[in-house]
Amino acid sequence: MKCNIGFRNMATIACLAALPGMAYADGAMQDIAIPSLAGSYTNGSKSYMLALNDADAVQKQASATPVTQAAEFEPPMFSGSNAHKYLGLGTLALVVATALAPKPPEVEGRAPTQAELDAQKSSNHARLGRAAATLAAATVTTGLLAHWDDFHVEDGWTDPDNMHALLGTAGALAMLYAVSKAPGGGHAGVGMAGGVAMGVAIKLTW
Amino acid sequence: MSKILKAGALVVALLMNSAYARAEENFGRWLINFQRTKEVKPVTDKRYLKECGECHFAYQPGLLPERSWEKLLNAGALKNHFGDNAEFDNDTLQAIHDYAVENAADKSFYKRSRKIALATAVGEAPLRITEVRYIMRKHKDIPEKMVKGNKDVKSLSNCNKCHTQADKGIFDNDTVSIPNYPDWDD
Repeated sequence: MKCNIGFRNMATIACLAALPGMAYADGAMQDIAIPSLAGSYTNGSKSYMLALNDADAVQKQASATPVTQAAEFEPPMFSGSNAHKYLGLGTLALVVATALAPKPPEVEGRAPTQAELDAQKSSNHARLGRAAATLAAATVTTGLLAHWDDFHVEDGWTDPDNMHALLGTAGALAMLYAVSKAPGGGHAGVGMAGGVAMGVAIKLTW
Repeated sequence: MSKILKAGALVVALLMNSAYARAEENFGRWLINFQRTKEVKPVTDKRYLKECGECHFAYQPGLLPERSWEKLLNAGALKNHFGDNAEFDNDTLQAIHDYAVENAADKSFYKRSRKIALATAVGEAPLRITEVRYIMRKHKDIPEKMVKGNKDVKSLSNCNKCHTQADKGIFDNDTVSIPNYPDWDD
């Protein structure tokens, strides 16, 4: 069961991390023009004919101002940077939801039964916690992919992007650790610290 | 309760330790501000916009450190402003100088300005924005044919030719469109 959950989380992280790659690929695909045989023939013959019949006209045409203006540039809605941003905000929202979700009663003084363990693992608190940690890992991965050229160690750790990366990664690791230790004493503090580190990381570069 | 207190203390410690804490007078403002400040503060001064924008793109003061603006914006230096005479009357010069210095990269809490200030060596005062280490680093991989060899760009100093939202102080990769190179990708 543990293995299944781990595999599912890894698969989710991989899918989410693939988002920026897909965004780049999407941008490139829009510009692909598949040449048709007829088009190539027509274009080629046109320039050939014009060149033969009226060389001046061809020259004038080349230097003339284009009639159609270039379309106004619209920033892409779906980019690696945006994917990273929304994953990070989603992580924060899930951290808050995890903290607010009712926790299953803790078993004290004796070892929990299998039924109690299952109830704890399938509670909303546990599910939200796992989702938050998964999203945090995906956020870090997309951040590394989309903003790799923003980190410069030579600028020191006070550089906002360096600190963002450090806190974000530490926060994600803390959340993953908290999920791996749950249910059990001590995981709440680590998870909360992870969420706080992520929140500060976001604020630093907001 | 103690967990919440600990978490609160951690938040304060992390924030106080941040680069923004250095800009002491702006820190409080930054902390409670939820507007995005990840880029460069856009120019809001009408006089600066008018006087500088008459001849070239009105570069945001947050693109250069204070030392650079001090060197650039004085009567002597403006007599030969990169080959041109750009003298102002005293009032205008004072207003432009003060606005640039107040919003210089090392005084700004905008992220990209902070990065410019941190990447500039102590004592260094680049006179051209294209000579700022951070700016040079960000553009080093762009082939010359896309800038100098591009008839619609010609120079890195024409920021707004490729940075489509440069006037708003936004210089991120998503808003870059290099004329004549629609397939450009960073």
